[in-house]
Amino acid sequence: MDTPSWLYYLFGVAMLVVAAYGVFLLLVSFRFGDPAGRDVDIAHLFMGVAMAGMFVSRWTFWPSGFWELVFFVLMVWFIARSAQSIQRFGLHIPHEAIHVLMSLAMLLMYWFPMAASSNAMSMTSSSSHRILDPGVGLLLAFTLFGSAIFTLASPIKGASHHGTHAVARRRALAPIGSAVSGGDSSVEAEAEPHLRGDSSLLSAIASPQLEDLSHVVMCIGMGFLLVLML
Amino acid sequence: MSSAVSTSVELPSSEISRDTRPVVRPRYHDLQRTFQLILATVWLMDAVLQIQPFMFTRGSSGFSGMLHSTAAGNPSVVAHTITWNASIVYHQPVLTNTLFALVQFVIAFGIAFTRTLRPALGLSIVWSVGVWWFGEGAGGVFQGTATPFGGGPGAVLFYAVLAVLLWPSQGSDSPFVAARTVGVKNAKLIWLVVWGVLAILSLVGSGRQPKALHDLVAGQNVGQPGWLAHIDKVSESFFLHHGTSAALLLAIACGLTAVSVYITPQFTQIMIVTAIVVFAVIWVAVQDFGGILAGGATDPNSGPLIILLALIYWPLTAGELPRPTGTAENTVIANDGVIANDAVIGNGA
Repeated sequence: MDTPSWLYYLFGVAMLVVAAYGVFLLLVSFRFGDPAGRDVDIAHLFMGVAMAGMFVSRWTFWPSGFWELVFFVLMVWFIARSAQSIQRFGLHIPHEAIHVLMSLAMLLMYWFPMAASSNAMSMTSSSSHRILDPGVGLLLAFTLFGSAIFTLASPIKGASHHGTHAVARRRALAPIGSAVSGGDSSVEAEAEPHLRGDSSLLSAIASPQLEDLSHVVMCIGMGFLLVLML
Repeated sequence: MSSAVSTSVELPSSEISRDTRPVVRPRYHDLQRTFQLILATVWLMDAVLQIQPFMFTRGSSGFSGMLHSTAAGNPSVVAHTITWNASIVYHQPVLTNTLFALVQFVIAFGIAFTRTLRPALGLSIVWSVGVWWFGEGAGGVFQGTATPFGGGPGAVLFYAVLAVLLWPSQGSDSPFVAARTVGVKNAKLIWLVVWGVLAILSLVGSGRQPKALHDLVAGQNVGQPGWLAHIDKVSESFFLHHGTSAALLLAIACGLTAVSVYITPQFTQIMIVTAIVVFAVIWVAVQDFGGILAGGATDPNSGPLIILLALIYWPLTAGELPRPTGTAENTVIANDGVIANDAVIGNGA
C-alpha cells in the first residue's frame, strides 16, 4: 500500500485550478488594459501547469528544459522587480521576494528531480542523479508555508497579488460615467455599460480573497512537493 | 525585539495616484499575533509532513509502525493504550492518517483566521496531549528516556504550552508577550516549571548516560544528508566522551534559565539568548531537525518550539516595543495603489 493516488490527483487538480485562475486574471487585466500583476498571473499559470504534471505523471508535457527556462526567466524577472522596488522605496524586503523563492523552488525541482522512491513526481530530466540538499528544500518549504499562513491571516486582502487587480475590479464595478484612476496604466477609465452585467461575477471571481487563496494553494502544493523531495 | 513581519495596505481608490510620496499609515505590530502565525506555520508544516507517502503505509516504517514502536518500555497500562491506537491505524492507515492530517490542517488554518483562532488553539491543546500520549509514548517520561537532547518530555507538549501562552487577548506586550494573556505571575510560573522540568530531565534516567546519548544520535543518522551525518558523527563522539558533562551543563543552563525571569531583565535576556543558542545547536546536531531531512518525520521535534517559547518571554520595555510600521522609511505608496510591502513571507496581521 502506498500513498493514495487521489491525494496526488487532488493536488494536481488544485494546481490546474490555480493555473486556470491565473488565466482568468490575465484576461481581466487585458480586458481592462491594466498590466499590473500580469507577472504574478503568468507565474501562477506556469507553476500550476508544471506542478500538476509533477503530481500526476500523465499530465506532464513539454521537456523539462522548457520549464527550466521558463522558471529561470521568471526568477530573473522577479529579482529585477525586487531590485526595482528596493531602488524605488529604499531598503526593505520586497513582496516580490516570495515570487523569486517560488520560481527558485520550481527551478530546483527540475534541476534535482525527486528520487524514484516516490511515485508522485514524473519529471523527465536527464539529471536524475543529482539530489537537492534537503536542508534547502526544508527551508524553502517552511518559507512557503509561512507565506501561506501570513497571507491567509492578513487583513489586507489581495496583497498576495500586490492588490494589482483592484483597479480592474473597481473599473468594472464603477457606475457609468464615473471616473476611476490608478494602476500602472493610470488611464482615466470609465466603466463600459456592457460590462455592468458582468461586474458582480467578475468581482466575485477576481475577488482579492480568491487571489490570496490561489497563492495559498500554490504555496502548499509547492511546499508539499519540496517535502516529497526530502 | 521586533516583529518578523509587517504589513501592506491597500488604499481606498480615492487615494490612488501615481504619486509615490511617502504616506504615513500607522499600523502597530501585534507581536502576539505574529507568534501565533509562526505557530500556525509549524502546524501547517506538520500537516504536510503527515501526508508523506510512508505515512499511509502499514509496515514497520509506516505510521502504525511508528506509533507501535513508542509503546516499548512504557508501563503496561500506557503501552496498552498505545498499541490499541496503533492497531486502529494499522487496519485503516489511509483513513486514519488522512484524518490526522486534516486535524492539523484545521488547526493551522484555524489559527490563521482570527474568528477561529480560539477554537483552533483549544483543539491544538487537546490534540497535542493526545499525540503526546498515543504518538510519542508520553515522550519517554515513564521510560526514563525523556532527555531534552532528544526532545523530552515530548516535543508536542510545547505546542500545548505555546497555545496557552499565545491565547488571544487584548493588552500590551510588555513586559513580555507570554504575559499578555495569563499575566506576569502565571507566565513566570509556567516558565519556571517548563525549564525546571527540562533541567531535571537532563539528569534523570538515561539522560546523563554517555552511551544512551550516543545512541540517541546514532539511531537517527540514517538517511541524513552528508553534512548532517558528519555533524552527527561529531555529536556521537562528543556524547560518548563527555555525555555526562554535557547533560550536567544542559541541566545548569536550563536551571538558570528557569529562575532568570525572577532576576533582572538583563539576566533574563542573557539566559534566553543562551537557551536559544543551546537548543538551536541541539536541534541541528542532536535532534537532526527532527529527522525531517531524512524523510521520515512528522514534526520538527522540540528545538524550534523551545526557541519560539523563549522568544515570547523576551523582556520588552516601552522603548523596545515595535513602532508603527507606517513610517516614511518603510512605507510608501506604489503606483498601483498598494503600499510597498517589506516582509518576505507575507502580509502580517
